[in-house]
Amino acid sequence: MKLSPKLQPCRWDGLVVLLVVVLAAACALAVWSRGTDTGELTAVVTVDGVETERIPLKEFPDGERTYSGNGYTLHVRLEASQGETGLGLYVAAADCPTQDCVHTGTITRAGQSIVCLPARVIIRLEGGTVDRDAPDVVIG
Amino acid sequence: MKLTTRQLTLCAVLTAMALALSYLENFFPLSLAIPIPGIKLGLANIVTVFALYALGPGQALLILIGRCLLGAVFAGNMNALIFSLLGGVTAMLVMILLSRSGRLSVYGVSIGGAAAHNCGQVAAAVLTLGNTAPCYYLPILLGVSLFTGALTGLVAACLFRALAHTGLTRG
Repeated sequence: MKLSPKLQPCRWDGLVVLLVVVLAAACALAVWSRGTDTGELTAVVTVDGVETERIPLKEFPDGERTYSGNGYTLHVRLEASQGETGLGLYVAAADCPTQDCVHTGTITRAGQSIVCLPARVIIRLEGGTVDRDAPDVVIG
Repeated sequence: MKLTTRQLTLCAVLTAMALALSYLENFFPLSLAIPIPGIKLGLANIVTVFALYALGPGQALLILIGRCLLGAVFAGNMNALIFSLLGGVTAMLVMILLSRSGRLSVYGVSIGGAAAHNCGQVAAAVLTLGNTAPCYYLPILLGVSLFTGALTGLVAACLFRALAHTGLTRG
């Protein structure tokens, strides 16, 4: 069955916009508020769904570390004097076709991540020891 | 589904146009302005919106699947297939539902589709990476989809106006 389309924006379109905005806000609250900035800022590296490394940024080597996945290699460097903790990570170079990871720039806060889809590498910053979402006690 | 020669030809032409638009999109990389994996204008969605109204949901879905399969073959990247398929089919289903409501204009339908497309793509990223990290980008992607969806809606509306006299949209 075919429909003839309405070509002028109407009030109901506003409802869709509102719905998307609410969804985005709810998502932002759920995703971005996770983790706290207390404790040590730690880089968690996941390659192809498996966590391969967990380094506190303070112990990150001065030079660079490389992570490889799916035939691509990412060169990750530490950047000082960025953000609240004064430390950040960025991908200096990568041989993947999209270069999204390089364009992402420096990440400095817990919850932020650099994702390279072709290499299936995720570099995510975590706030450290305190986790608000973790259960206090597990019984039974 | 039984197609007349006229319908089949229209589907083929629209599939080719959708493929060309996806390719054309590479020349306007939105990801340079907003560096997030998977961000794009979604120009091929113009074809989906047009086909949904002019040809109906069944043929629109055929065009979409044809575009995703051929796009992945041409790009030589089968990994991208799950992204485009999951995003495209989610967008399609949402747009079918929204257009059936009869109250929304092409703008609302297109924005809903763009937002659904991003949700589908993030779901594909979560599935392939085995990690929920891509959800971090969802709020930004949803925000951007308001603008990209409105843009594709605008182009689709212009298209319907321009083609009104041809009777193409009425079969």
